[in-house]
Amino acid sequence: MQLRIEPRVTTSIVIQGLAPIIAVTMTLVLGGILFAAMGYPPLETLWAFFIEPISTIYGASELLVKAVPLVIIATGLAIGFRANIWNIGAEGQLTIGAIAATGIGLYFPDQQAVYLLALMFLAGCLGGLFWAGIAAYLRARFHTSEILVTLMLTYIAALILSWLVRGPWRDPAGFNFPQTALLPPAGLIDPIDFAYRVTGSVYFAIFALIAMWFFVARSFQGYKLAVGGAAPRAARYAGFSEKSAIWIGLLTGGAAAGIAGFFEVAGPLGQLSPIISPGYGFAAIIVAFIGRLHPVGILLGGLFLALIYLGGESVQLGYGIPAPITRVFQGLLLFFLLASEFAVSHRIVRVKEAH
Amino acid sequence: MKQSRRTFMQGSAAAVAALGFPNIVRAADVIKIGQVNASPAAEIGWSKQHALGIDAIKAKYGDRVEVTVVDSIFVPQDAERVFRELAAKGHKLIFGTSFSLGTPMQKVAPRFPDVAFEHCSGIVHLKNLGTFEAKYYEGMYVAGVAAGHMSKTGRLGFVGGFPIPDIVGPANAFLLGAQSVRSDATCDVVFLNSWFDPAKEKEAALALLAQGADVLVGMTDTGVCVQTAQEKGVLSVGYASDLRTFGPDSQLTSVVLDWSSDYLDAASGVVDGDWTSTVRWSGFKKGVVKMAPYNDVIPADVRDKLTKLEADIASGATHPYAGEIKDADGNIRVAAGSVLPDADIRSFNWLVAGMNGSLG
Repeated sequence: MQLRIEPRVTTSIVIQGLAPIIAVTMTLVLGGILFAAMGYPPLETLWAFFIEPISTIYGASELLVKAVPLVIIATGLAIGFRANIWNIGAEGQLTIGAIAATGIGLYFPDQQAVYLLALMFLAGCLGGLFWAGIAAYLRARFHTSEILVTLMLTYIAALILSWLVRGPWRDPAGFNFPQTALLPPAGLIDPIDFAYRVTGSVYFAIFALIAMWFFVARSFQGYKLAVGGAAPRAARYAGFSEKSAIWIGLLTGGAAAGIAGFFEVAGPLGQLSPIISPGYGFAAIIVAFIGRLHPVGILLGGLFLALIYLGGESVQLGYGIPAPITRVFQGLLLFFLLASEFAVSHRIVRVKEAH
Repeated sequence: MKQSRRTFMQGSAAAVAALGFPNIVRAADVIKIGQVNASPAAEIGWSKQHALGIDAIKAKYGDRVEVTVVDSIFVPQDAERVFRELAAKGHKLIFGTSFSLGTPMQKVAPRFPDVAFEHCSGIVHLKNLGTFEAKYYEGMYVAGVAAGHMSKTGRLGFVGGFPIPDIVGPANAFLLGAQSVRSDATCDVVFLNSWFDPAKEKEAALALLAQGADVLVGMTDTGVCVQTAQEKGVLSVGYASDLRTFGPDSQLTSVVLDWSSDYLDAASGVVDGDWTSTVRWSGFKKGVVKMAPYNDVIPADVRDKLTKLEADIASGATHPYAGEIKDADGNIRVAAGSVLPDADIRSFNWLVAGMNGSLG
């Protein structure tokens, strides 16, 4: 007997709506069993995982701190993904963006300039653009796989960061420890309220979502990209340039990731150290897909992924559940979400033997 | 669900209390203590030795303390939130066990003036942020003497995590110890730029052996150097934990870190209400650095000598960085009759004569 996976011709709206609910329910049940088997009270643990982190204003503000970079990067990536341009290296683009922004912040001659932040923002954006641009050039010119190039450039970016913080940019007053000096006050974004860590990056995330919606739903260029993604031959027949799709698809992701890097280093970080991102660039890929490459979905996906990170910390704090167990639980949740998505749009059929 | 809602209400009440109204809700007699680690929990190495510090507090205070440990907090953005949550949830003493946690601790500490923060290997002190650190070089010097006695080639191999003063200094001490018994000893040094990278460390260890080293030491978070030495039939020195199980024949001794006294000092300060921000920096004297039992392959008279050396360093009679010490370019850095000042030890960024490698 042979099995084959094929796309469903029709999918019911009801099932589409139910799928995520079923996925979450199954995760809760399985997660509850997992926690109970480890000897932790299942209901309380699930409560601590999903509700407690956002039960205070501070908790909710932290959710935004974590979700904003995910959302910003995912909006940029989704533009490319819609056109079948697979930018897997947002993590590297974020790193280069953060490096460029910090370089301006630390070494711009006028350290008190009121426009220092604006310059850093620009540098972060250009840094991300440049890093993604390398992959775009290679793909457009030599047909290299942008998946491999963007991913490999991520490791190069990490090594550049490592070299800078241990070499030329090392804090002279830092006892040789691998980190840069703190950015000057003019190069740091003040939080909206000093009791919390949320900065104006929230506004930028909202702007990015709206801009993405306009681009995708209202612009001719967005339409051309979507056609190129859904039906490449039709797009070619219509005369839509594949090269411009490559450039736009990769550069939007690069710019978004670079800007996210700027917001991280000028916001919660304040300096560069060997590790500056908890994998935002990779997690944003998941966010884009959980959100079905749609702005509203990305917003929800970003908040959701941020919540399961905070939840992992919360159950460690509250119940002493080891970090690896929380990772397993996070993995379960993502697995069910993506599997249910898949089950909605595909079905498994038996292939009849041909005689 | 009722139960959990109640716990949640209590939690937020405590959070409010800690943030604004310290006198409304008071934790009973139980003192909450937190520990944040930048790496995963492990059976050996740095994190394990810090877990033993927490165990020492538990053993002494039992039910009077409640401990929360948070592992695998890799980036500063997350660390700041975790420190803040711990403080807001009523933890009165919070340990951060990695240098990388310093900046977040410096940001959080001023917001919670009633909470005592203790940062291991930190360099910045605040009114309620103290630091503690070990004199690794004392142990490495003794280990170097053992290596000097046992090495056939006179070439030693040192693998370090990062070229920071707390590694560069002990690497120098290791060679100085060896040179104190055979003046022709040299040491090749490699930095991994990672605390935990077994594959890269293995490569480095094999490269050092290929260059002729016959005693290996790794100041990292693994047992790779000891294990590789065991496989290749040469000698090794462990670090952080006793790594004998990785190399029963190869490990001459290990520079074991025992933070118990630091943890207990801090805890008793908080329990008694007289905790102040201090710089704790100790070695053999307070038992923060200890030598693992010497391997029987070391002749008995040498073992006695090593034990005596430990006592002499503890009492101050011998100093690992006593002059004359030359750097790799031949300049005299420490004159005969004097010792390297503490400030220079804590910012060590040069290699002594006989070390081969770079601090890149």
